[in-house]
Amino acid sequence: MPALETEVLVVGGGSTGVGVVRDAAMRGLSTVLVERGDLAVGTTGRFHGLLHSGGRYAVKDPLAAVECVAENAILRRTAADCIEDTGGLFVTTKWDDPAFGDEFERGCRDTGVPVEEIPVKEALALEPRLDRSISRAFAVPDASLDPWKLVSGCARSAREHGARILPYHRVLELERRSGRVLGARVESALTGDEVRIRANVVVNAAGAWAGQIAELAGCKVTILPGKGIMIAMNHRLVNTVVNRCKPPADGDIIVPIRTVSVIGTTDTRVAHPDELEVSQQEIDEMLDEGEKLVPGFREARALRVWAGARPLFSAEDVSDTREVSRSHALLDHAERDGVEGLITITGGKTTTFRLMAEAAVDAVCAHLGVDRPCRTHEEPLPGSEEGRFYWLGSRVQAQEPVPRSEEIICECELITRDRLKAAMVTRPTTNLDDIRRMLRLGMGPCQGGFCIYRATGMLHKYERLDSRAANASLLDFLQERWKGVHPILHGDQLRQASLDDWIFQGLLAVQHLPE
Amino acid sequence: MTYDVVVIGAGLAGLASALRLADEGLHVLVVAKGVGGTHLAPATIDVLGYADGRVESPARALPEFVAAHPEHPYGRVSVELIRASLEWIRERLDGLGYRGGLEENVLLPTAVGVAKPTALVPQTMAAGDLRAGGRFVFVGLGGLKDFYPAYLAENLARAELPNGASVSARALELGLPLGREGDVSGTGFARRFEQSAFRDQVVRGLEQRLVPGEIVGFPAVLGFRHAQEVWQELETRLRHPVFEVPTLPPSVGGIRVFERLTAALRRKGARVVVGTTVSGSEHNRKTLEGVVTQTAGRPRTYRARSFVLASGGFASGGLQMDSYGRVRETAFELALAGLPAPGGQRFEPGYFDEQPLDGAGLAVDDALRPLDPAGAPAFENLHAAGATLAGATPWREASGNGISLATGYAAASAILERMS
Repeated sequence: MPALETEVLVVGGGSTGVGVVRDAAMRGLSTVLVERGDLAVGTTGRFHGLLHSGGRYAVKDPLAAVECVAENAILRRTAADCIEDTGGLFVTTKWDDPAFGDEFERGCRDTGVPVEEIPVKEALALEPRLDRSISRAFAVPDASLDPWKLVSGCARSAREHGARILPYHRVLELERRSGRVLGARVESALTGDEVRIRANVVVNAAGAWAGQIAELAGCKVTILPGKGIMIAMNHRLVNTVVNRCKPPADGDIIVPIRTVSVIGTTDTRVAHPDELEVSQQEIDEMLDEGEKLVPGFREARALRVWAGARPLFSAEDVSDTREVSRSHALLDHAERDGVEGLITITGGKTTTFRLMAEAAVDAVCAHLGVDRPCRTHEEPLPGSEEGRFYWLGSRVQAQEPVPRSEEIICECELITRDRLKAAMVTRPTTNLDDIRRMLRLGMGPCQGGFCIYRATGMLHKYERLDSRAANASLLDFLQERWKGVHPILHGDQLRQASLDDWIFQGLLAVQHLPE
Repeated sequence: MTYDVVVIGAGLAGLASALRLADEGLHVLVVAKGVGGTHLAPATIDVLGYADGRVESPARALPEFVAAHPEHPYGRVSVELIRASLEWIRERLDGLGYRGGLEENVLLPTAVGVAKPTALVPQTMAAGDLRAGGRFVFVGLGGLKDFYPAYLAENLARAELPNGASVSARALELGLPLGREGDVSGTGFARRFEQSAFRDQVVRGLEQRLVPGEIVGFPAVLGFRHAQEVWQELETRLRHPVFEVPTLPPSVGGIRVFERLTAALRRKGARVVVGTTVSGSEHNRKTLEGVVTQTAGRPRTYRARSFVLASGGFASGGLQMDSYGRVRETAFELALAGLPAPGGQRFEPGYFDEQPLDGAGLAVDDALRPLDPAGAPAFENLHAAGATLAGATPWREASGNGISLATGYAAASAILERMS
């Protein structure tokens, strides 16, 4: 069995894991990260894309709010390319208690969230689709955050600092001797090969799955996976992050991100983070809430629904997961369970991922007896050096100087042949769904109706995939897509899906592809 | 002015129905929201490709199929009528040289290399018949993102064919000068193929690279109006059989069908108005008197003695479902059949599963008149045809154009019968 030696082994390739591996690598530690699937396929890749100002937690969870304030400012400096500076609004609708606005404003001031009440007229001028009967509006520095860019930027930076990042490697076993974790035995999901990784410290950054990893070392970590559903609506129904000004509840945020807007979310305790069913009732409730903020929401085109699992850490049992603090938990299992060499970092949220990573790597350094300061609050991510925020027109702008010189494979998201080809050959897998996350391939209104046949042909051509594997990739994509679209199919999106049925099942007859 | 017949919808069902009526000297108007399924579907007429497995002979399979699916549109028309509709379209589109028929399905390769059954094929696609096997070469055109010949060929080589026939298939890529344009669509290639200089390049690029005996498959972009001549020239100059493989919409082959049918309609004095949405009706008890349309500026009413509703299914907007799961027929709010139970599941989790909403549409009597909830014709002079009818899953049965053609033809027959 091949073996690797490292000072730090990080388990989990979400924002926390890549944050830890980047921070550790920047402090000069040798690092390896393993992730059972692709990077950012878990909670990070399934959140609504909100970079919190802290406003949402200002009343209920002041500690989380304070952290958000600081991290929001840091990420604006260091991860500008992942952020669209949309700004945010908290608005009081006729369903909300107008007095909460005062409490909200006070909470913001106490926790340092920059807040300003603006005239309703101004808010409506900014967001003309909002319900005209809103009575109050507060402006805060919410923004939208592209999770894939953030994770891939951290991973790239970590690699530049010498880290090894191994997606598609599942931890089979944490190897222990006399109360000490010595490393892990991992298995490649692509080749089935096993690798033994020796490490001085293992950081469990598996998020909602942290309990399962800790259990491999005989430690009990109780994570309450809180399921949140989100619906992506075609078009930007709002251009500012819009929140209801009331205590946090279901369906009270709409985040404009790229060409769509995402409404979220719910919070339901589930038994296992891999089991995230979405019910018709949950969807209906979400659409009804959307209707309260943006009248006509139910007639707008809904593209896709998905669910993510928040990793809420609990010392004791709690039934309503929203009551658990959104602040993170750092567990040193030596102190807690008498198991040396294992640290768990969990809880938290994507907005505070950097802070969590810093805390975890501080603990790692203490463990290794080294004193090296964190630099992630200063050093920008690759692509963000110039501090320019992402803006919606950037792909068009990149395309404009060379009009029509290249084939556009995905028209919805303006992805060119060269770009797709490059993504295919650099990804470790031939999974079209991974490429979708990376490039947003097939994420637009047609949901891959046109580009996925092309992408399959290109996989066959450029990746030298045999036709069986290409077929499997195509069929997997269609099934994964159906999973995300069928619960919300109606209106024009049902029309689109029917066209896609004609293309895939009628014109191409993919269901009859040879074995 | 009162027309004899107003046809709603400009897909194959609407156009076939309209032309058949115009041929009989009736004054016909076609109104449509947009172009229809012709621009999406290949130009083949699939009557029944899959029932329990691949169908070899629609003529033989249909009686059993209809018995098993009494709600299917084919349950409203006879096999003789389907046969007559195929004969009619073959004659009416003689410029496209349709061949085949109801007795034996042809097997044509799809763009992913599935051997797909179809009843009637235009001449430009006919050499792709896989039933007897053969040696095939598929030609990719550099700059056309909608065709992947190597992927197609590799799947096709593994296709199961009748009587143990086998195919060998390979791919060629042809680089072609496209000028300054880097992203040329299928329709862009079709325009280029109508230019002789472009064809010269194609022939020169291929002639040294073909192996004797090979049948040469191109993406279905070999020209619009002059496709027959383009195809003929390629066969003659390459000295190989040549055929087209349909690929992603817009369907160049289907556009040829649309252009020919609408041109024939105009020659017969019919009007075709595309870009107009029917939003209501005027009626006197059970007689439909006019349809109200939304045109630029103001509503407009078109009156007629008979009407054909061929507005399509969910894909065309003839049927719609809102976010509460309520399904409606969009032109006349007609009663629908084949709906999932209220509050019941709308979709199954497997993409290729049968879906509860699949068969939704209009239930009709034997004159193809939509029925009201009591089972009587909603209007005595309204007939329906095509994908708006209940009981079919045409994309899965490979029956789309067959249903459209047969029911469009039958709706016209019913109108002619009542008028005579």
